[in-house]
Amino acid sequence: MSTHHHHHEDFLFKYIFSTDHKMISKQFLITGFTMGFIGLVMSTLFRLQLGWPGESFEMVELLMGSWQENGIMAPDKYLALVTMHGTIMVFFLLTAGLSGTFSNLLIPLQIGARDMASGFLNMLSYWFFFLSSVLMLISLFVEGGAASAGWTIYPPLSALPQAIPGSGAGMTLWLFSMAIFIVSSLLGSLNYIVTIFNMRTKGMSMTRLPLTIWAFLFTAIIGVLSFPVLLSAALLLVMDRMFGTSFYLSDIYIGGQVLDHAGGSPILFEHLFWFLGHPEVYIVLLPALGITSEIISTMARKPIFGYRAMIGSMMAIGFLSFIVWGHHMFVTGMNPFLGAVFTFTTLLIAIPSAVKVFNYITTLWKGNIVYSPATLFSVGLVSTFITGGVTGLVLGNSALDINVHDTYFVVGHFHIVMGLSAIFGMFAGVYHWFPKLFGRMMNNKLGNLHFWTTIASAYGVFFPMHFLGLAGVPRRYYTNSEFPLFDNMVDINEFVSTFAVIALVAQLIFMFNFIYSAFRGPRAPQNPWKGTTLEWTTPVEHIHGNWYGEIPAVYRWPYDYSKVDENGEFLYGDDYIMQTTPMGENENDGGH
Amino acid sequence: MTSIAMENMDYKQEVKNKTSKPLLWIGIVSIVMFFGGLTSAVIVSQGGGGFINIALPDAFLVSTIVIVLSSIAFHLGLLATKKGKQQQAKMAVLATMVLGLTFVFTQYLGWSDLVARGYYLSGTSQESSYLYLLTILHVLHLIGGLVSLSIVLVKTFKKRYTPQNYLGVEVSITYWHFLGGLWIYLFFFLMYITA
Amino acid sequence: MTVVIVIAVLLVIVTGVQLLKIAELRAKSKGENIWEVKEKDGKFQASLMIVFLIAYMAYFFWQIYAWGDRVLPEPASEHGVPYDFLLNLTLGIISSVFVLTHIFLLYFAYKYAYSAKRKAYHFAHSNKLELIWTIVPSLALTVLILFGLNNWNKIMKPVPAETEHVLLELTGQQFTWTARYAGEDKKLGRSHVTLIEGANATGVDATDEFAKDDKIVKGEFHLPVNVPVQFVFRSIDIIHSAYMPHFRSQMNCVPGVKTQFNFVPTKTTAEMREITGNKDFNYILLCNKICGAAHYNMQMDIVVESKEDYEKWLAEQKSFVE
Repeated sequence: MSTHHHHHEDFLFKYIFSTDHKMISKQFLITGFTMGFIGLVMSTLFRLQLGWPGESFEMVELLMGSWQENGIMAPDKYLALVTMHGTIMVFFLLTAGLSGTFSNLLIPLQIGARDMASGFLNMLSYWFFFLSSVLMLISLFVEGGAASAGWTIYPPLSALPQAIPGSGAGMTLWLFSMAIFIVSSLLGSLNYIVTIFNMRTKGMSMTRLPLTIWAFLFTAIIGVLSFPVLLSAALLLVMDRMFGTSFYLSDIYIGGQVLDHAGGSPILFEHLFWFLGHPEVYIVLLPALGITSEIISTMARKPIFGYRAMIGSMMAIGFLSFIVWGHHMFVTGMNPFLGAVFTFTTLLIAIPSAVKVFNYITTLWKGNIVYSPATLFSVGLVSTFITGGVTGLVLGNSALDINVHDTYFVVGHFHIVMGLSAIFGMFAGVYHWFPKLFGRMMNNKLGNLHFWTTIASAYGVFFPMHFLGLAGVPRRYYTNSEFPLFDNMVDINEFVSTFAVIALVAQLIFMFNFIYSAFRGPRAPQNPWKGTTLEWTTPVEHIHGNWYGEIPAVYRWPYDYSKVDENGEFLYGDDYIMQTTPMGENENDGGH
Repeated sequence: MTSIAMENMDYKQEVKNKTSKPLLWIGIVSIVMFFGGLTSAVIVSQGGGGFINIALPDAFLVSTIVIVLSSIAFHLGLLATKKGKQQQAKMAVLATMVLGLTFVFTQYLGWSDLVARGYYLSGTSQESSYLYLLTILHVLHLIGGLVSLSIVLVKTFKKRYTPQNYLGVEVSITYWHFLGGLWIYLFFFLMYITA
Repeated sequence: MTVVIVIAVLLVIVTGVQLLKIAELRAKSKGENIWEVKEKDGKFQASLMIVFLIAYMAYFFWQIYAWGDRVLPEPASEHGVPYDFLLNLTLGIISSVFVLTHIFLLYFAYKYAYSAKRKAYHFAHSNKLELIWTIVPSLALTVLILFGLNNWNKIMKPVPAETEHVLLELTGQQFTWTARYAGEDKKLGRSHVTLIEGANATGVDATDEFAKDDKIVKGEFHLPVNVPVQFVFRSIDIIHSAYMPHFRSQMNCVPGVKTQFNFVPTKTTAEMREITGNKDFNYILLCNKICGAAHYNMQMDIVVESKEDYEKWLAEQKSFVE
């Protein structure tokens, strides 16, 4: 036990400028969830407007004060909220919050390392993230309001304050915040990759890594390759905005005058943006898939089915994600031949995705499934991954995309396949590894309630959007009431908005459970879920360096659940064998 | 909070030895993607027409020679450190530093040349914007290299490196060579684009 | 009011904390750990999986029943017919995949809930199974890709110059549309943003011979039925997107770039009014790319009518020089 004299300094370095991966993980988690909650409240606010356009809401006025006149949202504030919601959810909650939390927590613990390759870079990564979060939130309060050009910030809309007030100071802050965010993300990714390749304990070969680690590895690699390109796209936009260059701008008449810009093309921005933007989808999704692979196997008391196929499909998805970005641009007037190529590569992604789904289902088959909240959310993820994934076949096909592009069909699709799947994976991870994060257990009953209310309200919100889309309702409309064509959509919109409010309330259950359990929950045992991986061999209390004494060596892959001998009895007397248990003499190692 | 092997300096050194170079290499990969994104942007923009064929300043050719020389000097410095010839190492690293600063100066001459010919960062043409942007961004990355080089310089003069311990020099030289390579790529790329 | 809400929220939290504490103490007094998943509770969650399966599928089919007739009516363009065929084919395939996989997923989730009497089956991989579910989706995809690319290539092919067609330019700007017909010479005159002045809101070049007979209309534009329409799209400020859902048609309007799309309208407005049973029905052009505060209200009506009516209407429109 430590006997430090400087308690003040101790506090500072333990909780604030910690270089310990477990503390940094908690910092990412709490910052990410805070941002996520803000993003969620924003979505509820604009759903109120969409469900009951023009209606006055006292709650809205209470929350947004002078932003609202008489509780009614103004059109430009609506667009600001939509933009900030998208940015916060995609980047701050589901990129930094998800990957930052679990890569930091699990990489050293599961591969058997005392900490990350560079604790200092890791700390910097968090503080850059924190700074960018603060800047992003500050941008809500500047003159002209927050960025309002959609989270994809297509120029010229994002470049010209004359086009929308949010493209003034709000967009400047958005760009600075994102630049810092990208640095944070790169520092994190560097660390994850190097740690996984260089700091595995004795016996931890690549084919003995848990699938979580594989997922974090691919995520980090995708991040290192794609985020710098977003940075270059943002840089050119900054130049156009501040220094009068014309990378993206040309032939523009706005606010009664012709601008000087000539020769640029907004399409260039779209190419650069989506070169990151599409891989970003998998940066968000892969960690969730890794987490649930691990949880489903542990809780079904069965090895994950097709370990190598799972890795192979993640690799295929990661690779393909770099050659499909054009499917976001089918209606930009791109060369039809290019469109055909992107259709082909895009639809190919369905194959590895299908393999993953079938492997999940087969893992459940003939399992012995223990139902913790983490199990529920993992099964929920498979459901959302299917529900949202299949509609990708409509959108990825250029011939079909032309009429559903930028409609609510798209909104339904990506919220289910990317948003819900990723957040379900994140919830599953929090419930499962809460004992590793806080040394206490969360309440299962509240967790179960949280799951059922969340999945019911989530499908209540996003499923009907497909019908809106097939009816031709465009996204990012402040209200549909200007078109007689959409008059019969009113009740669908009310339906969606009602469930959006319920979904918000459901998250309060989680928030309560989380805060209560972190401080007052029952003390966790060392290995509550009877998992085989190394993190369950560490002491419950957090110690610098993770293990007392030597780091344990590893002798087998992480999925030796319910392994039996020729008489049908469990090997070593239990339905799980720790990775640290040496191979028996006649035991089949399954090629690991 | 208890500390185990973490406080052990040997362990820390071991981790450093194992991970410094991989960290740098992956960092380099992300810089490559950054410039890759920008140079693809140039090609896309060029496809849109409106490029006016600006002749590259002669100073950029001088820069190219200077940066190649600096890499050679640094390499000689590394060899000298490995062999324990500290005097030679000092001279070589100092020469690298001087050449590095010369490179920044010749780049500046290049920009002055562009300005003298009436090509500015903005308002002239996309081509000239890209010319400035790519070269300025390269110099910004080079400043990072100069910072690392000055640490190596100080440590060399303080005789901190030995034939057994020269990791810092290796990390710094890897980045420096990369910057040289990056410049050569940019130089030929810009030559091709402006031709 | 605010005070009441705050007090109510505080009460809920305090009650929650007390309930959790009581539950923990009760478990402790029975010598159990509250966080352990008991077999009985697991079975209950598993049975909820079946409830979920039934409810989810019922919800899916109820939506089709309740809202299925609110989607776009039958296509009003030539390529819209194969478009709808491919869309329905795809929706059919993905719906069956959706239903089947959910049945397997949730049924297994229900059936294999934890029981102390059973052992899980250690089943790590099977090349045969994995091969099957790589190949089967690949085959289904091949069909969709082939159909899709075939359609795509047809849709994107511009109308050949020698075919009789209407040449029409749509220009987007915050927050209105302008249509320009090519006129007698069948050629659109030059235009540039620097020429925008007063009534010439889209910057048509008055000195260009081809521009003189161009006809500019606002509010609504007319199209003759069964004649190919070649659209050219422009924007004078930021990106807009010309979306004409009934014709299964959409193309972005990008400043500095000219984009194009074409279709053959096959149903007049009057025919469509009959089909939809809505006597006020109108075809519509709307903006489908976020373009500013009034993005939600950037529209133009489209009237499709017989060729004679169309020509009569067009003759009434003033040409650019007039």
